[in-house]
Amino acid sequence: MSNPPGFARFRADLRPVLGAATALVATTAIAATLLALGGHSPGAAFGALVRGAFGSWHNFVSVTLVQATPLLLTGLAVALAFRARVWNIGAEGQLHAGALAGVAVAVSLPLGSPFLVLPATLLAAAAAGALWAAVPAAMKTRMGVGEVITTLLMNFVALFLAQFLVQGPLRESRGALPQTDAIPAAAQLPVLIPGSRLHLGFLIGILIAVALWLYLARTPGGFRIRAVGASPRAAEVSGRFRTGPVIWRAFLASGAIAGLAGWIQISGITHRMYENLSPGWGYTAIAVALLARLHPLAAVLTAIVFGALSAGGAAMQREAGVPDAWVRGIEALVILAVLAVDRGLQAFSDKTAAGATSRRAETGTAAGRV
Amino acid sequence: MFRYLRCLPIVPLLISTACGGDSTAADGSAVALLTSGPVSDAGWHAGAYEGLQMIGDSLGVHISHEQTRTPADFDNAFISYAESGYGLIFGHGFEYQDAASRAGEAYPGVTFVVSSGSRPSANVVPIIFGLHEASYLAGMAAGAITESGIVGMVGGVEIPSAKGTFIAFEAGVKAMREDATVLETFIGSWDNASAAKEAAAAQLRQGADALIHNVDAASFGFFQAVREAREGGRTAWAFGMNRDQNDVAPDVIAGSAVINIPQIFLQTARAWRDGTLEGPLYTGLATGAVDFVPNPEQPRVIPPMALVQIEEARMLIIEEKIEVPRIDFVEPAAGDPPSA
Repeated sequence: MSNPPGFARFRADLRPVLGAATALVATTAIAATLLALGGHSPGAAFGALVRGAFGSWHNFVSVTLVQATPLLLTGLAVALAFRARVWNIGAEGQLHAGALAGVAVAVSLPLGSPFLVLPATLLAAAAAGALWAAVPAAMKTRMGVGEVITTLLMNFVALFLAQFLVQGPLRESRGALPQTDAIPAAAQLPVLIPGSRLHLGFLIGILIAVALWLYLARTPGGFRIRAVGASPRAAEVSGRFRTGPVIWRAFLASGAIAGLAGWIQISGITHRMYENLSPGWGYTAIAVALLARLHPLAAVLTAIVFGALSAGGAAMQREAGVPDAWVRGIEALVILAVLAVDRGLQAFSDKTAAGATSRRAETGTAAGRV
Repeated sequence: MFRYLRCLPIVPLLISTACGGDSTAADGSAVALLTSGPVSDAGWHAGAYEGLQMIGDSLGVHISHEQTRTPADFDNAFISYAESGYGLIFGHGFEYQDAASRAGEAYPGVTFVVSSGSRPSANVVPIIFGLHEASYLAGMAAGAITESGIVGMVGGVEIPSAKGTFIAFEAGVKAMREDATVLETFIGSWDNASAAKEAAAAQLRQGADALIHNVDAASFGFFQAVREAREGGRTAWAFGMNRDQNDVAPDVIAGSAVINIPQIFLQTARAWRDGTLEGPLYTGLATGAVDFVPNPEQPRVIPPMALVQIEEARMLIIEEKIEVPRIDFVEPAAGDPPSA
């Protein structure tokens, strides 16, 4: 990456920091007002939010990072797709498809050793997620159907399929509750830090982030994805490569990563499949990816921020007595404010920054168009 | 790369706002409640929240509530409360059983109560609600009301506690009207009001004119379907479930099969404070914890003769001379170890 020299660079780098601060102050003010109007103490609420997310080793590692894991994986899935201008809104559905496939393999195949079970289940989950993304991919490349609609609709298919399966064919063997049997110990991801709930899935997420970054930045395949993302038309008429396969690859890889997110959550944390496995990670993932400007490594940080928000939100209920509906509202407010200020500053810097051209080329795919 | 570190400043800034917080320094007397749905459902969850508030008022202890979003939150919620010094933690629903069992092992000094739970241990106490007994009485009322001889039941997810109320309801209907047809639909969700409405409407179209639900927050859709059928000129009555819902839709409800969850919670908390709490707890008509309550706004819906019969049946159930069919789903204490 080329950098503007010296002072200019410093100023350019300071701007986003100021942006985040502005967003935070604005959000805090609005949320505090709303909380006060609702009869809750803003100080107690925000104190609980911060303590719940960062207040102790347990809170940070076993709650915040655990919550961040599915957000990181789905966030990477969305970021990769968006880099190729593939608007995959279907991470939620791909996550459920992956979760179902992983559980189905784990409870039905008698593979004794973790060294067999874990790769088999992870593979199955990735394949199922990719399969779920393949339907919108085919409709886009063959029939020109917009993927925003198709990926979104595939989410509902996956959710209802999951509901049907856990209430029916995959229901636990004693037949009582709408959940699958517990997966065998061999299919459970090992704990990453002893004494905590943080599992290997977080590390897998980070490895995928690094791999995606290297792929996008350093390989011809990654370059093609960025080229298609920058301008599909230009990529097509350049005649250097066909865009169809690139779009297919983005769809499939994105679906596979989202599929992994679902199974990793079960394998690492819940050990069973339930109906409401995800509180909407596949949708929050869009905010995770956008806030990270679709950069895989930045997504690690933004996923942790959103994981902290989720961890802190629960503590806000417990310690400050703020109802869940308010907590969700405040979470949404934070997401909106951060994205709005981020975008606003981006537009501002696009217009005014002296080195605009080089910078835009650098952040190219993400900036100024989402 | 440096520019992506923009996310980092959020962390210290957030921490700097933390000064106003007051942590609840609980000494083991505080009581907490977990629900997996909104306490504004005017039913299952609302009853639990009322109970928690009664515990706070009557015992003068600190209380707290968390609505959990996914099963992954269960363990963390139990652990967080136990770590903060809460001594009694209610998990309001069968879904909390696994996590409560795990937390019970990790925190032997804390008592975990699981509503409709299935696995008792030294400090994990399932409460079994004998709602089927009240549901049987509601069924008798429905059997007395129905003109078409077709009675409907709309359930949420088909789980033992919900299925059990319907088996008893059906038995109550048949006790009054042997030739009655009983329709049953499970919509697969507890909060999908439009699905509940559709299911009730479908049963109404098939001729049902007395309908009961067990769908929690989705019951608003269920009542709406009955209301619209009546506005269309039909005669149809609904029955409430879990909480006394007679005031939720007084125009269409004939009566409610009620669990007095607040009272049970308060009794449980008192027993826990006195050191006499042992599980599993069974609560039925005999303890006054469940009952069938006719809607006072609609005094002439259930024929007086039927009310007398219902009163007789109530006594006979308490004296164990009528055995209401039920689904028993309590496992032996040693059975089926938790998954993790």
